[in-house]
Amino acid sequence: MSPRVSRQGLLWTSGCLALVLLPHIGGMPPWVLILCGIAAIVRVSLAAGGRDAPPTLLRSLIALAAIALLFVQFHTFNGLTAGSALLGLVAGLKLLETRTRRDVCVMILLIYFLSLDALLVDSSFWLLAYLLGVCWLTSATLLRLTVTEPGPAWPASLRYAGRILLQAMPLALMLWLFFPRLTEPLWQLTDNDQGATSGIGETMSPGDLSDLAVSDEIAFRVHFFGLAPPAEQRYWRGPVLDQFDGRVWRRADPDGTAAAGLRTEGPEYRYRISLEPYPHKWIFTLDRPTAWDAATHAQLTSDGMLIGPGPMSLGLTMIASSQPRWRDPEALPEAARRRETALAPAGRNPRTIALARALHREHPDERDFVTSVLEMVHSQDFFYTLSPPPLESKDPVDEFLFDTKRGFCGHYASAFAVLMRAGGIPARVVTGYYGGTFNRYSDYWILRQSDAHAWVEIWIDGQGWQRIDPTSAIDPRRVDRRLRDEQAAISLANVDLQSALPWFAALRLRTDALRQLWRERILRYNQDSQQSVLALLHVPDPDAEKLVFMLAATLAAALGWLTWQVRYELRPPPRDALRRAYAQLCAKLAGVDLPRAVHEGAEAYALRIAGSRPELASAVGALCRRYNELRYGPQATREEIAAFVRRVRAFRPRGSRAS
Amino acid sequence: MARRFGLDALPHTVNRRRIYILPSGFGLALAALILAMLVAALNYNNNLGLAFAFLMTSIALVAMHHCHRNLLGLVVDAETEADGFAGANAAVAFTLENVSGLDRYDVQIRCADDAVGTASVAATSRRGLVVYVPIARRGVRRLAQFELATRYPFGWFRAWTYVQAAVTIHAAPQPQGERPRSGASVALGATLRGDQPGDEDWAGLRAYAPGMPLKHMAWKVLARGEEAAVRTYSSPAADPEWLDWYTLAGVPIEARLAQLCRWVLDADRAARPYGLRLPETSLGPDTGPAHRRACLRALAAHDEAAAA
Repeated sequence: MSPRVSRQGLLWTSGCLALVLLPHIGGMPPWVLILCGIAAIVRVSLAAGGRDAPPTLLRSLIALAAIALLFVQFHTFNGLTAGSALLGLVAGLKLLETRTRRDVCVMILLIYFLSLDALLVDSSFWLLAYLLGVCWLTSATLLRLTVTEPGPAWPASLRYAGRILLQAMPLALMLWLFFPRLTEPLWQLTDNDQGATSGIGETMSPGDLSDLAVSDEIAFRVHFFGLAPPAEQRYWRGPVLDQFDGRVWRRADPDGTAAAGLRTEGPEYRYRISLEPYPHKWIFTLDRPTAWDAATHAQLTSDGMLIGPGPMSLGLTMIASSQPRWRDPEALPEAARRRETALAPAGRNPRTIALARALHREHPDERDFVTSVLEMVHSQDFFYTLSPPPLESKDPVDEFLFDTKRGFCGHYASAFAVLMRAGGIPARVVTGYYGGTFNRYSDYWILRQSDAHAWVEIWIDGQGWQRIDPTSAIDPRRVDRRLRDEQAAISLANVDLQSALPWFAALRLRTDALRQLWRERILRYNQDSQQSVLALLHVPDPDAEKLVFMLAATLAAALGWLTWQVRYELRPPPRDALRRAYAQLCAKLAGVDLPRAVHEGAEAYALRIAGSRPELASAVGALCRRYNELRYGPQATREEIAAFVRRVRAFRPRGSRAS
Repeated sequence: MARRFGLDALPHTVNRRRIYILPSGFGLALAALILAMLVAALNYNNNLGLAFAFLMTSIALVAMHHCHRNLLGLVVDAETEADGFAGANAAVAFTLENVSGLDRYDVQIRCADDAVGTASVAATSRRGLVVYVPIARRGVRRLAQFELATRYPFGWFRAWTYVQAAVTIHAAPQPQGERPRSGASVALGATLRGDQPGDEDWAGLRAYAPGMPLKHMAWKVLARGEEAAVRTYSSPAADPEWLDWYTLAGVPIEARLAQLCRWVLDADRAARPYGLRLPETSLGPDTGPAHRRACLRALAAHDEAAAA
């Protein structure tokens, strides 16, 4: 029979459980957390009254009911959410029946697993630091409660558990660095849509982008190896939308791989892009991608989109190259031309179509036609605003072009593409991101959801698809001055502070740099990173085998160090050090003409010095008294002796026979 | 084991090469937990989860070293002889000395499956630990080795070492029997010893001479400034008494020994000189704890084959 656990032990165990459940708030069903809380309170108060756990029958009934309720709620115990809820529930129920040391051991194991569980859901640095603290407290509790004799008190237990934790760190680091990672998960996850955030969607109808435009969330970060492209080329290509029903632009079914005729030109930019999670397959790249990480298994479609094998629900980091200019000398196939000039069912947006036809008659040359449309946008009173009036009629393009004349990139791209198609020029809308903020603290660009953009590509014979950004044609004077104010009103905390306090913007960039470092170096640490670590350590031709060798070698070294360290701590306390320090003190005093007589004890020596050199009395008196305490008092600890040695070293008697 | 390492001299310092260590049941449960953690973290491709699982692995490895160290260099000494009565416990006295600068907690000494004692020893200190060995039968029991073990810290591992030093337990018979202990033995005793100064009755003062027992010193006399003196006593009942095996003829052996044991204890309590006569030996007559112990050990050792 395992010994009973004290009330204090129960209190500590409950405390550890509470701490480990804290990050689960929001993840677990609230009633599970409440049940755990009630269990803790009931158990501790029962123990306070000197009573035992509630009767077995009652406990079994509660357990059955709770587990049944959980099943009703989730229909499964599989998967992360249901699994951790079950784990929390079991921990709470176990606490209710905790009686002996054996029960506490089970509780502690549950708490350890709940810590891991929290890390699977959230992966911030702060959570890791917090859980390290919880692990420390939990280990101290275990240490305290598994000792049979009156063992170390709580402070000593905490110190000792902390020491063990610190000694475990280098070993854990070696394991983490060199333990081979899997390329594929062991089995497919059931709930892998976690972390998917809003972003650019599969359709666009002017108005849809308004909520994105003000969202401050980060879409992705990019580091350029070498120079970054100039601003007018920083278009990040996303979904290409080429079907229009009069209101909504949609994406036609992508047709296979890249067009053969495309020739990219100009300087090539190589970059590492790390995408935040989103629920779609496409991968944003700098317009136009020429090479990308083969490990992503991504394919380039004929309309220039990079499509991954599955949703980017965990985000992605890859290295890719792009060239900002291209041409396609081949002719557009007839089917494609028909598709890309198709307009909505007849009769939609009639005024726009009439306008396009009129302009086209006036400017039969393709280029003149395009220029005239852009000129119209520039010269007429079109405004750029993030809060345009709603377009509610069945001809939204007409309404925008002729009535409201206020909109953002989506309105302009949509209207421009319709005008082009009506004029017989193949046109399609491309969505993605434009611009970005440079983080000068860590050499990368941040693209936020507020950088989402839409532009148009038109087909020009002999050149292929070419990018036109109608939004950029708006007279800058008519870009809504209230834009900043509106953004400020919506995300006041960020934007307003940023414009008011330059250092706040700098701080924000710095924290983002750290967050990005954490993401790139820690969270996305993978096989490739392991190879580069090996390369950094000058291991020739790093491969999986060398990795295992490295793991073995560093582990052996770390264990060797540990063996030495635990023995080193075992050495007897340095009484000799104390004696040496005292001899040093005497030598220093002898240096100022106050040698100790052979027969003199420390106390007598201090008294004699106090008599002859009063200015030294207090310092020497204190040192000699301390020496006697350490030497003849109760067992001095290593720290106390070390402190004494330091005091003697710092002691500088002044004056000599001259004075 | 003894053949491999030979016998250990006491006090024995625990040697690195002779400490064995294995995970306990709790440790195996922890191993299963860590495995589950690794699988979960690898499956979710979660580097932080993996880091936590590795941290737990490392903590377990460090704990293993600390567990091993909790015994390393510990100095153990033992009383190699212990006495007791059948049906009760024999107290085997051990001394643990910790010369290191670290406290050692929960060191267990195991003499037999049912004879375990636990102690913590602070840094640079020494403490005694008495292990009670239950005794079923009369006889001399030799424990060829004892075990030092610990599960500190955390109880995930159990480190242990065997000390090849024999502890002999003299299990005297359970004292029993109500037969009177007078008889023929007294006459025999009278011829052997005349009136000898005993401890019973006051018989006056004698001048002190070196070597006389200080407990009989007449301190009041000395305090008056007179010559140092000691009190003397004489005992009319000082005739040594013989506790004789042969007076119990016809009684079964174990009952005889039990009766003798009873008599020894009674005589010892009465502080009279007594002798013990057994077929193979005779002890005394004498008084005092040493004599009592010798008598009890002789009873324990008598014809051990019969006891078994």
